[in-house]
Amino acid sequence: MQKFSFNRRLVIIIVCLIVSFALMTVSVVIRNKRSTPPLIQQFGNDIVGLADRVVALPANGLSGSVSSVSELLNTYQENQQLKKQVSELAQTKVRDQTLAKENQQLKQQVKLNDSLTDYTAISAAVITRTPSSWQNQVVINMGSSAGVQKNMPVMSGSGLIGRVAEVNKTNSKVELITDNNDSANRFAVQITTKSGTTVNGVLSGYRTATGQITMNNITTKAKIHKGDKVVTSGLGGVTPKGLYVGKVAETGGDDYGLSTKLYITPATDLTDLNIVTVAVTKQ
Amino acid sequence: MYRLSKLRFGFPIGLLIMLLLDGSVSHIFSSQMFNYPTVMVSHLVVLWLVTAVLYEENVTMPLGRWAIVAGTIFDLYYTGIFGVYIFIFPLLVYVTRIMVTYISPNFLSGLLIYFIDITLVEGLGFLASRVVHMTVISGSSFLVNTLGPTLAFNLALYVILYFPIRWVYNWLN
Repeated sequence: MQKFSFNRRLVIIIVCLIVSFALMTVSVVIRNKRSTPPLIQQFGNDIVGLADRVVALPANGLSGSVSSVSELLNTYQENQQLKKQVSELAQTKVRDQTLAKENQQLKQQVKLNDSLTDYTAISAAVITRTPSSWQNQVVINMGSSAGVQKNMPVMSGSGLIGRVAEVNKTNSKVELITDNNDSANRFAVQITTKSGTTVNGVLSGYRTATGQITMNNITTKAKIHKGDKVVTSGLGGVTPKGLYVGKVAETGGDDYGLSTKLYITPATDLTDLNIVTVAVTKQ
Repeated sequence: MYRLSKLRFGFPIGLLIMLLLDGSVSHIFSSQMFNYPTVMVSHLVVLWLVTAVLYEENVTMPLGRWAIVAGTIFDLYYTGIFGVYIFIFPLLVYVTRIMVTYISPNFLSGLLIYFIDITLVEGLGFLASRVVHMTVISGSSFLVNTLGPTLAFNLALYVILYFPIRWVYNWLN
């Protein structure tokens, strides 16, 4: 009898392991291939998302009031510094508006409707973050009913932070660019160097030790300097052109000395996200 | 008298709140907890399950079933990879129940049991992520950068929350 129960336990463990592996494989495949998760999963996620808002609202409110008190302490200094920047910014903004208008008129003349730089923005609040060290994901409070689709780029503050990985009706998961997994989609980016040449490439990963994004396999001979700005190139479809990623922090050769490898300091603090913007391209 | 006590509804509600608080804590303190390469992961839902086993003296609760429910929600809502925590959480309840039969539970032995449980959750979670290539981190850097800080954070939470949670259970019972 003792032997029987031991065998039965072993069988249960093995069956559980096999089922677990099967489920994991299937869900990874579904996540990579399909634009939305299965209907049951979507429904469940929407319900939990609603319950989460009830929990997250007081928690985020509390954290907001604490941080506003601490921000109040260095408001004076910040105000002085910001005043200087505002006057410069007004000038840039006016010029930007004029250029945008001129651009629109020129586009009308050559009968070009939408180019790679055009996108509309959906603002969303971050509800929660995945409590896991392997998946850097946040859940935002906008879903397919607001027009969010899988693989759309997401920005916060001044720069790119990640892409939409899973879309439910009323919430969606955003995979941050700090995520290092194999299946993460990479952004096509470009750098305009000081001499004016454009270098195209793809973001390839995240170096956790220094908090920098890496960019691999650059075979151009163009000289890339520290501080050159990296923006998305708009190649490959869903991502519009011209989203700011960060600045080049370090250049170096790759392990075999054949191509250049870049390290990019991200434009936004990726651990402090509250309001994000989903960029929707017109297709 | 599980069927008649307030625990019948109180326990699942507490479980769901703890599960959602995990995400809120990770979000609010993300600049402290996800300070790469060092990562601290909050496991309040594990604390709720383990303390339920520790305080479970004369009432038996269907903890295994609720652990499966918590694991399902965790997988679907947080990670999006189904089939990891749905097995880890019930296993955790099973292992904790075995340990409780050997060590009589009190505050200090509970700390020891919780230490083993967190190691189990993080270790199995790491193995599963490695298998499906969600991570490429080596075992040694997992021990140093994730397991160590996570243990420290969660044991501190255990020390702080042990008596409040026991008070909640006594009130519900």
